[in-house]
Amino acid sequence: MDTVIDAHNISKVYNRNTIPVYAVNNVHLHLNRGEFTALVGPSGSGKTTLLNMIGGLDKPDEGNIFINGQDITALSANELIDFRLRNIGFVFQSFNLIPVLTAKENVEFIMQLQKMDKKDRDERVLQLFQQIEMVDKLDERPSRLSGGQQQRVAVARALATKPQFILADEPTANLDSKSASNLLDIMAKLNKEENITFLFSTHDQRVIDRARRVITLVDGRIINDTAAVSTAHQQA
Amino acid sequence: MILSIAWRNIWRNKVRSITIMLSIALGLFSGLLVLSLYQGMMNSRIRSVIESEVGHIQLHHPKFKNDYEPEFVIKRGEDILNQISKLPEVKFVAPRSISMGMLSTANGTAGVQINGVVPGLENNISQLKSKIQEGDDFDTLKRNQIMIGRKLAGKLKVRRGSRVVLTFTDPAGEIIAGAFKIRAIYKSENTQLDESYVFIMKNDLNRLLNIDPDFHEIVILLHHNEDVKPVNQKLKKIFSSLRSETWMEISPETELMTKTVDQYSYIIMIIIMMALAFGIINTMLMAILERTREIGMMLALGTNRLRIFLLVLYETVILTLAGTPFGLFASWLLISYFNKQGLDLSYLGSTEMLNNFGFGTMIYPEFPKEKLSGIVIIVIGTALISSLFPALKAIRMQPVDALRK
Ligand SMILES: Nc1ncnc2c1ncn2[C@@H]1O[C@H](COP(=O)(O)OP(=O)(O)O)[C@@H](O)[C@H]1O
Ligand SMILES: [Mg+2]
Repeated sequence: MDTVIDAHNISKVYNRNTIPVYAVNNVHLHLNRGEFTALVGPSGSGKTTLLNMIGGLDKPDEGNIFINGQDITALSANELIDFRLRNIGFVFQSFNLIPVLTAKENVEFIMQLQKMDKKDRDERVLQLFQQIEMVDKLDERPSRLSGGQQQRVAVARALATKPQFILADEPTANLDSKSASNLLDIMAKLNKEENITFLFSTHDQRVIDRARRVITLVDGRIINDTAAVSTAHQQA
Repeated sequence: MILSIAWRNIWRNKVRSITIMLSIALGLFSGLLVLSLYQGMMNSRIRSVIESEVGHIQLHHPKFKNDYEPEFVIKRGEDILNQISKLPEVKFVAPRSISMGMLSTANGTAGVQINGVVPGLENNISQLKSKIQEGDDFDTLKRNQIMIGRKLAGKLKVRRGSRVVLTFTDPAGEIIAGAFKIRAIYKSENTQLDESYVFIMKNDLNRLLNIDPDFHEIVILLHHNEDVKPVNQKLKKIFSSLRSETWMEISPETELMTKTVDQYSYIIMIIIMMALAFGIINTMLMAILERTREIGMMLALGTNRLRIFLLVLYETVILTLAGTPFGLFASWLLISYFNKQGLDLSYLGSTEMLNNFGFGTMIYPEFPKEKLSGIVIIVIGTALISSLFPALKAIRMQPVDALRK
């Protein structure tokens, strides 16, 4: 199968000189194309730190991370910016959108950074807004959208340039359960329709239930990974 | 897209944007105002030097100004005056006889420069008549009248009508004394001159010196300031036996003052620009800090640092471009108004000080057209340089830290 994310023995240590905190401790992680995986764990377990390292926002203190076979721990800060632009889609917990741009422009923004031409952009925007069921909100500023709608736009933006995978750090944390469920529906649909890989963190059981694979993190270590289990199920 | 984000960011916090715009306008406004005031002051000083003191050009016997020896007269002076007055550039010309001497009263004595003038002609050049505070212009039918400055009159406790004695030496080295009656007391914008210049009629001085029909000085007023140098060159050629000097040579302190004032105006400009820079840096830094998470998010998505940098820069540029015309227009309006009406600095209660330096109290500020582009560049440059700090701050942000805020 096609490997997208391959993290080897990665660790992140904070306060190395005083009382060291292993935010991420010797983690191995392997994700194939098309996965829809949840990273689960209590607050402070290292989910954000791990996602940031995989997303090239932060560097591990130990270990290497390969995206599509490329070692991103070897890239400089500026190379990483470009790498993120071309390969990774991000959805954050909150404050995802540029407030002065409309929903449509927020999605277009990332496509413009990638120098997509106008016609392609327009087509893609329309397609994405149909997928997130927000064609009527194209020209609204984020402040006029609900939290759930904002997150849907963020997902559309993350998807816009067809990245290798999408990282979503607690995308539903600020949403009511109906909106959360709706967002997961859309993510799952896009995962299928566009065959895009999703890795999202959460500690919400209802969200966990929607994932096809669940990786559980406690104190920076992976204590459980259902990948083995589900493969077993499939084989059964 | 970056430009349009910058544009819309301006409208996010209108008060802040207006503050920056106004500080730019104000910086420009005050810079132009200061320069126009200085320009006006210098122009009025130069005008008063030319029009009421030395004229544009003066001619003397080459040795006369060494020691003001009365023997060094301009020979055939009347002919020369006639010749000069026919030059098209020349507006007025007047002769003066001059002697250094002492003025004595019952209360004391003072060293003075005695200027022997021809009343009608002198008024064309130095407006002596208009400076009279007390008394009348010379009565050409009477002998031995004198005009002295207000300052000297005060010092020697004399009044209009008082009798004074002038003592000086004639070309032969004999000491001569003459009794004069104070005809008028004048006051000019130059206290120093008021204290040392006295005026009598040329006929009286010439008679006492026994130099008639010659005299010592020819003062020339031109139609246009710009003609000074060429006309001076011309006069030097025509009257090679005389020394011809422009007002700049005669009154080098005025030129020096112009330069000093220029330097002061630069210092004041620098202070204004520093205030402007401080304001912009502060305000823009605040804007950047408020948008930390937003900028972190943009960086995380893959917006490169150049774009983030430009985003901050554009915002300042737009505000600068918006503020500049305001500043220009407001200062132009105010300066033009005062250029017509005049700005009376005596309200500031500094008449004394100004006059001590030879400045008048009425100032006609002039819009510094030649310096305009320079100032606009300085202001815009200051705004841009100031926005570099917030812009650098923005691009130094680490997306991980910014997003956790
Ligand atoms: N910048 C930092 N400095 C010090 N400790 C940090 C920093 N960021 C995270 N941590 C610590 O690392 C651990 C993991 O944090 P995080 O990755 O945010 O967990 P989660 O996202 O699962 O809540 C926590 O103990 C947190 O306090
Ligand atoms: Mg977290």
